[in-house]
Amino acid sequence: MSDAMSKPRAARIAINAGLLLFLCLYALIVLIQPNYLEPGLFMNFLRRAAPLVILAAGQLYVILTGGFDLSVGAVVTFTVTAAALLTNGDPDATWPVIALLYLMGAGIGLFNGLVVAFLKVPSIIATLGTMLWLNGLALAWSGGAARGDLPENFRNLGRFQWRDVALVGTLPMAVLVLVAVLALLWWGVHGIGYGRRALAVGDNPRAAELAGIPVGRTRITAFVISALAAVTAGILLGGFSGVSVNAGVGLELQSIAACVIGGAMLLGGRGTIWCAVWGALSLFALFTLLNLLGLPQALRDSIQGLILIVAVGLTAWRSRARN
Amino acid sequence: MTPALDMRGICKAFPGVKALDDVSFDCRPGEVHAICGENGAGKSTLMKVLGGSYRPDAGEIRIDGAAMRFAHPRAAAMAGIAIIHQELSLLPHRSVTENIFMGHELVRPGFAGLLLDRGAMRARARVLLDRVGAQIDPDRSVAGLSIAQQQLVEIAKALLLDARILVLDEPTAALDDRDARQLLDLIRILRGQGVALVYISHRMPEVAAIADRVTVLKDGRLIWTRPQAEATIPAIVSAMVGRDLKDFYPAAPTAAPGETVLELDAVQAEGLPEISLTLRRGEILGVAGLEDSGKGQLARLLAGDLRPAGGTARLAGRPMPLGNPRRMIAAGLGYLPADRKREGLVLRQSVRDNAALALRAMRPAWARPAAGVFAPAMLDAGLKRMDVRAAHFGQEIGALSGGNQQKAIIARWLALDPAVLLFVEPTRGIDIAAKAAIYQTMREVADQGRGIVVVSSDLPELIGISDRVLVMHRGTIAGVLPRDPREEEIMQLSLGVSV
Amino acid sequence: MMADRTLPRLSVAMVLLLISVTIFAVTAIATGETAQFSLQGVTGLLQRMVALGLVAIGQTFVILVASIDLSVAAVISGTAVLASWLMGGDPAMIVPAVALCLGFALAVGLVNGALVAFAGINPLIATLGTGLILQGVLSASYGSLGGAVAPVFQQLAYGSLFGIPWSVLALFGLALTMGGLLNRSVLGARIFAVGGNPDGARLAGIRTGRVILTAHVICSLFAGLAGLYLAARVQSGTPWLGRDGIYDLESIAVTVIGGTLLAGGKGGVAGTLAGVFLFASLDASFNMLGIDAFLKQVLRGFVIIAAVAVHAVRGRGHVA
Repeated sequence: MSDAMSKPRAARIAINAGLLLFLCLYALIVLIQPNYLEPGLFMNFLRRAAPLVILAAGQLYVILTGGFDLSVGAVVTFTVTAAALLTNGDPDATWPVIALLYLMGAGIGLFNGLVVAFLKVPSIIATLGTMLWLNGLALAWSGGAARGDLPENFRNLGRFQWRDVALVGTLPMAVLVLVAVLALLWWGVHGIGYGRRALAVGDNPRAAELAGIPVGRTRITAFVISALAAVTAGILLGGFSGVSVNAGVGLELQSIAACVIGGAMLLGGRGTIWCAVWGALSLFALFTLLNLLGLPQALRDSIQGLILIVAVGLTAWRSRARN
Repeated sequence: MTPALDMRGICKAFPGVKALDDVSFDCRPGEVHAICGENGAGKSTLMKVLGGSYRPDAGEIRIDGAAMRFAHPRAAAMAGIAIIHQELSLLPHRSVTENIFMGHELVRPGFAGLLLDRGAMRARARVLLDRVGAQIDPDRSVAGLSIAQQQLVEIAKALLLDARILVLDEPTAALDDRDARQLLDLIRILRGQGVALVYISHRMPEVAAIADRVTVLKDGRLIWTRPQAEATIPAIVSAMVGRDLKDFYPAAPTAAPGETVLELDAVQAEGLPEISLTLRRGEILGVAGLEDSGKGQLARLLAGDLRPAGGTARLAGRPMPLGNPRRMIAAGLGYLPADRKREGLVLRQSVRDNAALALRAMRPAWARPAAGVFAPAMLDAGLKRMDVRAAHFGQEIGALSGGNQQKAIIARWLALDPAVLLFVEPTRGIDIAAKAAIYQTMREVADQGRGIVVVSSDLPELIGISDRVLVMHRGTIAGVLPRDPREEEIMQLSLGVSV
Repeated sequence: MMADRTLPRLSVAMVLLLISVTIFAVTAIATGETAQFSLQGVTGLLQRMVALGLVAIGQTFVILVASIDLSVAAVISGTAVLASWLMGGDPAMIVPAVALCLGFALAVGLVNGALVAFAGINPLIATLGTGLILQGVLSASYGSLGGAVAPVFQQLAYGSLFGIPWSVLALFGLALTMGGLLNRSVLGARIFAVGGNPDGARLAGIRTGRVILTAHVICSLFAGLAGLYLAARVQSGTPWLGRDGIYDLESIAVTVIGGTLLAGGKGGVAGTLAGVFLFASLDASFNMLGIDAFLKQVLRGFVIIAAVAVHAVRGRGHVA
């Protein structure tokens, strides 16, 4: 019977699939625009992809524990709006405001986590509620239009590039931030026991609880990390796109899509940080490709939807073929 | 007489495994034909072929002499075959009537056959429930029924289709002794009505009591089919495991039990008016009782899954943090739940991660995941000590047999060196060889100075393994029996009859 | 007879109904807007329910089979745009346009259902995907799909019978029909079976794939109806009609508020409609109180969380 068959670790295959997809898409980009092979343009690609990759890596924590975080887009919007209103162009305010933003992010994540863990509201509903109230709050605070101004040193986090760096040519600060954040988030999933706890909680919360895992705390941590990642993404986005009340629109679904394309399992129990990274880079490579092809911006959505269905459909088909 | 069911030369292979190899099996109307075999022997596969879930690679199925091919479970149902699976297939939120008629609803004439005839369905449900001897209101929702009642609803479901071939897969696994006996009585009645019954069970006394013929499968092959008189329990067991099984239960300990390790003093909780008990180091305490006796609540209480309303409890000399699984574990308790899939395992994680789960819960979240006590070599050593068999310990635990899964969970708790281990239905759905190994382990673990509580519905098991048997009745302790009690003594206490 | 079984569900609906009426009445009295109690006021309140109500009835069906549909917003926009473009203001085109729109909705439902039931794709992903595909195509081609519905067609949104708007009558008529379908038809019984215990349903011989497919078709058709209604109301559909109304997520929210389990197998239309009524009463009350649109959204977010928490917090099990 199927019992006797040893299944290969699904996660390992998934990583390869996500990486493979990214390489294919990037190869297509290079085919159209060969100078994307230059380190400078690649760095620029990474810089623009950084917010989505960071968001996806944060979202992955929640997905591992079996939930969703639909509020990350609203957190990005709120971050950008709040930063502009609070600093109002004053460079001295940048660092205190950033600290405050992270504090707010932690509060929002904590709220989501507590609602899911203790009020037992399914995360899809809880974070939908948060998305609504947070978006409403951002709009009410700014009066519905972009107001305030971001100081130069704040914007530099997303915008600044060092020129004439050895090997890579230009080195954007956003890429450094990306690498640092990813290293931290990698550590959280793979470098310490937390990741295995999260996987156990997503796989079977009841069994995890009876084995002594603090299920509530594990879930809450995931939501806090996701919200903090979203604040980081918001700071970078504010840097290179400027202030907008639509800064975060659609990012929640893109980040979930990225994780899934990369091979993380929705509803928990399977996935690695690389699922988020390769998934998000694939998605962003796709957007870049569509831009280069001169397709209307709107079709981005369509292609994204198609890739999503095909990627998950292939996984489903493969796992059925295996059984 | 033409057999109602005649399966000939059935073969079924899965990638890498020959699950059924030229198996023939038949069952006559008015006969109970038992199938015995260890897990993986091919019983379930054979029944899935019969039920239309699998298509055989070779061989044929004849129903009343006519060759059949089932493309879908529905086709098998239409041919008069009903299979009652271990995992009940009921809808918890719907009424008994709706459950009985699931997939075979009665419709009102006209309306293109789309509208339900709910009155007729209810009336018919009453008749069917009467036939299986169940006093259940057909409008009740299934969620409120006991497991025994749910089983009766399943059988009523089968009778609805005039099933002439009824397969019962471990029907008594979740039942206590009284309910199991009632079910056997019902099976006898159905046999008298001419139903061909296929009975799959690991419980040998039941097989001996009810089967007219016995078939033993091993490794996907037919070992023999014999009439009841020639199929003694030792003969069945040795055919199943391929050797004689001596020392099934471990010998009684030679040393006297040590100090008290667990003590409940007048503890009250939902469904438990007042419970007092003590457990000593080196002792195995069995807990018996009917399904509604409160033994399940006692298990939940001891696992930390039920909040107490009063009383005091001590574990290893300290007050016991009842009502909080995590703190109970920290205090020295390990819990092996009855329902491994729902409460024990994280199925998509590796065998190693499952064995490390409790340890991981107790060590800080920032401990490195594969170093120190979590190093693969350390975890593997614990799993090997328990003789867990897997292709490799990085394999997902879902692919292992029930026995190996249970051993991996034992390894999980031993890694924490607990003072008390709580086993609930420790061998449910586990084959005989693995059962013996688990009993052996329980004894060894107790001999190392731990206390063990075993809550079980399997009386021979309780009698064989326990140093004392505590019998529950209506949420209280009806009596405590010393080693080697008789089944009758336990039954009398659990029925509330004075001894 | 029926009451016995539907009692818990009815009570969720009843409780929501009572709360909603109380909120509405108290606000109306407190703000002195007693005109709200007139037939006109009440029908105005009910008319707020129509679009979300239609979508949510459909969403209830997919959630009952343990699926979900995130593509409804795109289907709404799609039918609205199609209806305006096909009609081009010509009353003679009403019937063919409506037929084509519903055909389009049906096709989306079939695709969703097939992806979920037969390709084994997680319903959130499958319907998110189809929704994105539709949304992209709509936005990209909007420039060439202008037009307006026929003036007569707008009667659907603005006309009334004995002072009760057609749309309200249609909503309640459809809700009754679909409620009856769930509780009194073979299809309904199978929907509960597939959602409550898919393996059990399969073993009982139910072709679960077809049931899931049917639920998705019903859901898309109802989203299509909502799109037609909105087209009638705004005269000319835009590709952002559904997305801006957050009909996808709000329809899920009201369904869950109404007591339908996200895991499937339990719930019904009555609860969903009561959830929609709660939203409508809150909306109307916020308006009477003069709360600005943004703050309204903030309150809405908290109401969703609180309403679901009220009956989720009692459950012992885990949610994710």
